[in-house]
Amino acid sequence: MKTFGEAFFEEPRWVTQQCCENYVEMHPNRMNNFCCGAGGGAWAMPYDAERIYYGRIKAQQIMDTNAKMVIAPCHNCRDQIMKGLTKEFDLGIETKYLWELVADSLVIEPWTEEEIKKANELRDAQYERDEIDLDEEW
Amino acid sequence: MEPLTINRKESKLRVAPEWADVCFTCGTCAGGCPVTGVDGMDPRKAVRMAALGLDQELIDSRFPWICTLCGRCEYACPQGVEILKMMRRARSLRERDKVPGPIHKGVAMCLERGNNLGIPKDDFLFLLADLSKEMDEDEGFPGFYAPVDKKGANILVTVNSKEPFGEPDDMKFWWRIFYAAREDWTTTSTEWEGVNWGLFSGDDEAMKEVTGRIVKHLEELECSTLLLPE
Ligand code: SF4
Ligand code: SF4
Repeated sequence: MKTFGEAFFEEPRWVTQQCCENYVEMHPNRMNNFCCGAGGGAWAMPYDAERIYYGRIKAQQIMDTNAKMVIAPCHNCRDQIMKGLTKEFDLGIETKYLWELVADSLVIEPWTEEEIKKANELRDAQYERDEIDLDEEW
Repeated sequence: MEPLTINRKESKLRVAPEWADVCFTCGTCAGGCPVTGVDGMDPRKAVRMAALGLDQELIDSRFPWICTLCGRCEYACPQGVEILKMMRRARSLRERDKVPGPIHKGVAMCLERGNNLGIPKDDFLFLLADLSKEMDEDEGFPGFYAPVDKKGANILVTVNSKEPFGEPDDMKFWWRIFYAAREDWTTTSTEWEGVNWGLFSGDDEAMKEVTGRIVKHLEELECSTLLLPE
């Protein structure tokens, strides 16, 4: 908030609600919410026990929602919830990135013949420029 | 015992002695911090240490690294004490080879080879082409490919190196969205790293360099929008 001068609280909530009918908030939320515990590089820090201890609050918040899926707008939150907290606190919950939820909600309309042809040409030109040969062993 | 001089100039954390008065020691910050109590520390004590000239002790402690820089303490502080700035400054003042974990090594790697995990350009380009082919041929996205260094694209996308390194299929989430939206996007063949670890390790120079690279790409490729999915 301080960094960006403005908080983007409503946008991800709107996106989530377009993909998902039954949406619930954690408490507290927005400015009063808690960090998942993996912020500030803590996911990579060698202080695992402290990171999980930190995350106990997020784990409790998640449990209190009774939700089946939790949406994370950030790589660190997703890893902390999915690979850290779910196991440590037996959350039994599925975790997705916000953009993963969107990707999974799409109804894909395949491109037209013409669009495919144009994309293939651009692709071939790029692969030639970058010397990419997918049949070659690497 | 040596006498301590405490003023904005001498204090490593650049904390003024007025902080000792500004901070009410009310503990609001500590009350809302999830790691209060760890190592017997909390943000109120950290502020007090800085105000009392115990800069080096704070810098050498684990607390500024166990703190996630979430900012909850500072947000709640009735006195506007800049706790977050102080914590990050304590990280900056840690000797680089004593930065815990891999983040400083990642920063050095990024400066040298363009991404935190040192993924070579050839491997990266091959991986993108390989994943593109899967989407194009097997997954219902005919015509899909990942554009690289495409001049004039609308969106420039940075990459989190953990994905090409360990979770390559996760890059497809965005790609599926781009496909559906018929978005004109691109990424770059080198220096595509979106994870600016200098922010966490307390390295402003490195942060500036890594950010500068992205700005340079935007200008050179004439892209109008940056997507930094971090
Ligand atoms: S909330 Fe602010 S005033 Fe209160 S103890 Fe913390 S730093 Fe001091
Ligand atoms: S910024 Fe650090 S000290 Fe402050 S509340 Fe968050 S974790 Fe605690």
